[in-house]
Amino acid sequence: MWFATRPLAVQPQRRRNDPDRAHYPRSVATRFPAGRFTLWVLDVGLACCAVEVVAASLRASAEPVRDHPADVLVVAGTLTDTMAPAIVRLYAELPEPKHVISFGACADCGGPYWDSYCVTKGVDQLVPVDVYVPGCPPRPEALLDGLRVLASRIDAGVLAG
Amino acid sequence: MPVSSLADRLVALVEGAAPRVEFGRLTVDVPAAGWVAAATAARDDPQTDLSCFDWLSAVDELDAGFDVVLSVYSATHRHRALLRTGVPRSQPRLDSLVPVFAGADWHERETHEMFGIEFSGHPGLAPLLLPPGFEGHPLRKDFVLAARVAKAWPGEKEPGGDRPRRRARPLGVPEDWEQP
Amino acid sequence: MTDLPPRSRGVIALLEENCTSCMLCARECPDWCIFIDSHKETVEPPGGGRPRQVNVLDRFAIDFALCMYCGICVEVCPFDALFWSPEYGYAAGDVAELTHERDQLREWLGSVPPPPALDPTGPVPAEVERTRSQRAPG
Repeated sequence: MWFATRPLAVQPQRRRNDPDRAHYPRSVATRFPAGRFTLWVLDVGLACCAVEVVAASLRASAEPVRDHPADVLVVAGTLTDTMAPAIVRLYAELPEPKHVISFGACADCGGPYWDSYCVTKGVDQLVPVDVYVPGCPPRPEALLDGLRVLASRIDAGVLAG
Repeated sequence: MPVSSLADRLVALVEGAAPRVEFGRLTVDVPAAGWVAAATAARDDPQTDLSCFDWLSAVDELDAGFDVVLSVYSATHRHRALLRTGVPRSQPRLDSLVPVFAGADWHERETHEMFGIEFSGHPGLAPLLLPPGFEGHPLRKDFVLAARVAKAWPGEKEPGGDRPRRRARPLGVPEDWEQP
Repeated sequence: MTDLPPRSRGVIALLEENCTSCMLCARECPDWCIFIDSHKETVEPPGGGRPRQVNVLDRFAIDFALCMYCGICVEVCPFDALFWSPEYGYAAGDVAELTHERDQLREWLGSVPPPPALDPTGPVPAEVERTRSQRAPG
């Protein structure tokens, strides 16, 4: 499996704004072209939407690279309460500047499982989200469109980039 | 082995077994006291050889208690069976099947956290899927999905914007639930 | 733009003229993501006749952040006011922008494809069969 679906290992001696970002461990980031940017995407594949993100990487002929720091965290799939601390930790470990794309109905707002006893209603309850991609699941091309929207927002200066 | 002969063989092996064949599938009800013995006999007998553990779960039957169901399969004979037993709601306690099938470990942990059934002899009955600090047993029928009560149902309005004539309740909310 | 298969489910479009605010789609939606507000008005038909009450639609919104694209609303609408459209590129920076109101749902109508042709080897629809048998003796 190309994409890292487990949270990064916690290394207590690492500083968050480490200028030598190549030492951040074991993040398999995938290079996606998006307008005039190249975005390095870390896919947190939690459920069915993960398959669409993999399909998107194949459509965009994107290559995954081990140990490359990621710019964009794509949260794809249902976020359960049990998994929530892992996502918070994962977001905290990413180096700045970082962006989050919420992919699919479950990551946007809990989706069809909003009434469940252990589903977090959207990843934006835990981390700030920059782009929301609707769908259940969204098409792989919708992720590429979401990355384009993110790139245009970075370009317009709305987001730090 | 045809289903009827499998049923007869299991009745011969297990005391107090009551078989039912529905839609070509066999369910054998066994008394709770002989739960481990029934699973062991079904596994070890060469004619049944139900040695492949499929899943273990429970059904909330309200006043009748909980039905704990075990699904087992035979790879040599290509037949399957459901073993079922009942535990009372006031004292939901059953012997663990981990000595018989090692794979029952996590299934019993999940059944324990979802229904509140104690499995005595289980090596470590910790919650499996629910977040730490979760209160209650979600798959019991008296566990209400509060989210559907808290959010206003868009379909409650009558066409034309009138108030509904009778109290329209969203799905899954019991009749005696009081509005928050 | 990839070649999308027919009946692709991208977004739902609303033809407001067909909608009678019957609330069936809002009731049947499993996610509760359709919000309808309406009121009654008395209308005098031109050319005489007694005045009738009609439902006037005030608000029709679909929250696409919640929507799971099951299509129950499109299927259940008795007046064919909802249509599937294959458009998928409407990601937004704010989750509130994913709730599409009436005017935006009307805009999606432009991308609704014509219905695909019936399968020539499929069963004959009951309506056609009835008219055929009525014509046969003649």
